[in-house]
Amino acid sequence: MEVILTGRKLSKSYQLGEVRVQALRDVDIQIYQGELVVVLGPSGSGKSTLLNMLGGMDKVSSGELFYRQQPLHAMDEKGLTRYRREAVGFIFQFYNLMPNLTAWENVHLATEIAAKPLSAKDVLIDVGLGERLEHFPAQLSGGEQQRVAVARAVAKNPEFLLCDEPTGALDFETGIQVLKLLRKFSREQKRTVVLITHNAGIAEMADRVLYMRDGRLDRIRSNENPLAPEEVSW
Amino acid sequence: MLWRKMVRDVLESKAAYLACLVVISIGLMVYTSLNLTADNLWQAKENFYREYGFPDGFATVKGIPDAEIRRLAALPGIDQLEGRIVQDVRVVFPGREESAFLRLVTVGTGQEKTMSKVKLLAGLPLDPHQPGIWVDPQFLAANELKIGEEIPVIIGGRKVFLEIRGQAQSPEFVYPMRNAQDLFPDPRSFGIAYLPLPVMRSLAGEGAQINQLIFQLKPGFSYQDVESWLEPRLERFGLLALYPAKDQVSNFILNQELSSTEATANTMPLLFLAVGAVILYILLKRIIEQQRGQIGTLRSFGYSSREIQAHYLSYPLIIGLAGGLLGSLSGLWLSFPMTAMYQAFFHLPGLQGNFSLDYVLLALLLSVGFALLAGYFGSRQAMLLSPAEAMRPPAPPSGRHISLERWHWFWQSLTVQGKMATRNLFRHRQRSFFTFVGITFCFSMIAVTGYFNNIISVMIFDQMTKVQTHDIKITFAAPLSATGTRRELLKLPGIKRVETLLEAPATLKHGWQERETVIIGLGRDAELFNLLGEDGRRVLLPERGLILSSQLAEALGAKEGTIITLESALLRGDSISLPVYTIIPQYMGINAYMDKEALSRVLGQGELATSALLVAEEKALPLITEKYREASQVATMENRSQLLENFNEMMATYGFTIWILAVFAFITGFAVIYSFSIVALAERKRELASLRVLGMTPGEVLQILTFEQWLLALAAMLAGIPLTLQLISLMAQAMGSDLFTLPLIFEPNSFVIAAVGTACFILLAQWTLLRQIRRFSLVEALKERD
Ligand SMILES: Nc1ncnc2c1ncn2[C@@H]1O[C@H](COP(=O)(O)OP(=O)(O)O)[C@@H](O)[C@H]1O
Ligand SMILES: [Mg+2]
Repeated sequence: MEVILTGRKLSKSYQLGEVRVQALRDVDIQIYQGELVVVLGPSGSGKSTLLNMLGGMDKVSSGELFYRQQPLHAMDEKGLTRYRREAVGFIFQFYNLMPNLTAWENVHLATEIAAKPLSAKDVLIDVGLGERLEHFPAQLSGGEQQRVAVARAVAKNPEFLLCDEPTGALDFETGIQVLKLLRKFSREQKRTVVLITHNAGIAEMADRVLYMRDGRLDRIRSNENPLAPEEVSW
Repeated sequence: MLWRKMVRDVLESKAAYLACLVVISIGLMVYTSLNLTADNLWQAKENFYREYGFPDGFATVKGIPDAEIRRLAALPGIDQLEGRIVQDVRVVFPGREESAFLRLVTVGTGQEKTMSKVKLLAGLPLDPHQPGIWVDPQFLAANELKIGEEIPVIIGGRKVFLEIRGQAQSPEFVYPMRNAQDLFPDPRSFGIAYLPLPVMRSLAGEGAQINQLIFQLKPGFSYQDVESWLEPRLERFGLLALYPAKDQVSNFILNQELSSTEATANTMPLLFLAVGAVILYILLKRIIEQQRGQIGTLRSFGYSSREIQAHYLSYPLIIGLAGGLLGSLSGLWLSFPMTAMYQAFFHLPGLQGNFSLDYVLLALLLSVGFALLAGYFGSRQAMLLSPAEAMRPPAPPSGRHISLERWHWFWQSLTVQGKMATRNLFRHRQRSFFTFVGITFCFSMIAVTGYFNNIISVMIFDQMTKVQTHDIKITFAAPLSATGTRRELLKLPGIKRVETLLEAPATLKHGWQERETVIIGLGRDAELFNLLGEDGRRVLLPERGLILSSQLAEALGAKEGTIITLESALLRGDSISLPVYTIIPQYMGINAYMDKEALSRVLGQGELATSALLVAEEKALPLITEKYREASQVATMENRSQLLENFNEMMATYGFTIWILAVFAFITGFAVIYSFSIVALAERKRELASLRVLGMTPGEVLQILTFEQWLLALAAMLAGIPLTLQLISLMAQAMGSDLFTLPLIFEPNSFVIAAVGTACFILLAQWTLLRQIRRFSLVEALKERD
């Protein structure tokens, strides 16, 4: 399988006043084309930090990070912006929609800057929100908002999706719906999905599970028979 | 502890508070400095006028015997009355082309008690037996003359050398202008000289008669009373003018300057304070919105809502205090150079900067008052919030369809960013409104500034290229025969055209309204003096009847066809009546015009000329000036290039103050946009950060914020156009005097300047925003709910 992201000895530290917080320590990682990876670990173990590095949200303190042949660790802010624009789709725990734009407008906004976007309307219909196009985020439930967020990420037609606890703020049922969408994206489009959770149940639907602890990549487990989202439980 | 929280909060958004501080400081700086300067000016004027006796009234006559004066002094209501000879004489500086004049004013020599005294600043007393004079220091300085030197002048056709015995200043010539038509004094070409009456008589001929009376009123009598007694008695001595102190040119201008300074001092700062207060209000609202959770926590500790509001009031208090101190102290400091600047315009001995804390205290009170007011309204919310309510996050900002969306064609034409921006404008109505008002005002202020700058050039330019197109104007010492003079002048080498004018001082009356003016008689084929109608086209002179300048017509309440009564010392009969033929717009001067021949007929003195307009080849100009400079028939010679030069000099100083206003407007506009943008940015950090995550560049994110601003700015500038016109017409009414009107014409240039200026400060504010957007960390902004 083709490697799309390669990290070597990735480290990230934050200076908090006097103290230095080491959020990532010498992480070696490879992410492959088309796989669904779950990153599992307790709170504060560096999952979000890792995801942010992979997504070009911030620069690593040391180590090397390649997107295919491109060195992300050496890119300036301009390069990283282009990378996020073209390759990455982000999904967050708190949807981060524009409160001021309708569902369709939120998705359309993302497609406006993408190179080969999908139709905003089609994607929204795909995530089951065909009836909600003209609604504002405040008029949607949490699950619906998260589906808009997924649609927004997917509609950009990115190389891969990075999801930071996308079900964290949702109840079980709606969480499953969102997971199904992510799974569908990964299987149908053969695209990579990296999904963070501190919820072991969800890990069962992954092709691979990365365990994080204390800023380190603790171990990696391959899952021969990933479960379908509706089969997982937590 | 809370105090410390406040300091940290303020430091956190220091840029926005700083912007607010600067605006408040500017306001109070203007307030303090202008008020102090006006006070200094007023104090100096009062002292000088009182100590050296400024007359209550003035009368100019052709000549009156000394014996009559004593009789007039005995009139009821008159406390003191003195006569003097006032005469303008030409100065002939060797090797100088431009003409210069000294106004000789006779004064007592100190032995006798006189009412109107002159302050000797340096030098020796005057001697009644020696042709020495005192001269005003500005004239001496401008012409590089020293005490002990001699000034060559022409009196009665003779060249005489007058010895400068001293420098002196009279309260009557604090702002020495040759005549009211001039726009400003020019010390190089006009000065005041004082000399004893006997000396004057020995120079001008023993027969020289008193031609000016000055008088002081007895307490309890008004000028009007005395005027009505004096006027008939002076008529037979050729009364030319009779006016009270308030109409005396120097005094009039000094008073006008004083009142306009005071007016500016008390209105401008309010504008700045209001802007500062609005910024504070918005900042405070924002911080309280943001700190709901903290407020809830504090309330749960047991802080009362009053204590919490007091805490939030401490923010504006500190800004108000700091702004007040900074502004008033810098204003106090600035009042010294400003007073010094006035010394150059108004020659008041004793005019100096004074250290006074009165206005500093007032300014502090004002600024703290404004700040607390803004703070009170901004923090009312915090007080109304119940503790439990405060602990809950605010209701999420809800998107809403706005009414504008019903205009489909408009709505569909917007990009998503555009829609977002437009909805936002409506979501933050208050802020949008204040931004709108702020931009409107700044735009208008810059436009008004540009307008004044332009219009004055337009006025002068028009006057010089369309109305008066001569190269040289020669004014004769006494009326000459028109044809003879013309023939004589035409013989000059290089001369192209000569036209003579007949100027007759006269009083025009209509009903109870009357005005002193000069009727200018023009040839019907005049090309060097053109009367232009409303449409800019030439108005032809009627055979009979008057053409009035719009100012004069308004003063007289006259319309086309109105019959005007004309009185003049030159008139042999009593008075005559003439119809108004038409009214022309005229920016400068209040004149009436007539056909030259008709005027000659009315005056019944044959065909005369009081001045001549010449056009000549460029290289012939110096020769002509040289030839007539010392001729006794020539009273003044005015060169157009000299006029232009003077004008440019004045514009340099005048333009400076005007541009300061524009700079203030610019700073204010910047402060409003900038601080509001910062608030918007902080409020929407998360929203904007997620756009960055989507892959938008900082520039693209900025566009979302700026689209709103440009939309508002566009609307604000459009609204600014009528506001500007309104302001201009208000100011034109306030500033327009008898001497000149400000034309109310649409001056697109100034709007272009204003639009560019407005765009500049918006861009500047946006540029700083861009830097902030670049700087904010995406990880932080998205990490958790705050
Ligand atoms: N922006 C930041 N500044 C300082 N410390 C941070 C920042 N982001 C994360 N950290 C620290 O890094 C460590 C890892 O955080 P994070 O990656 O968010 O963990 P997780 O997502 O696994 O809960 C934590 O100790 C956290 O406090
Ligand atoms: Mg996390």
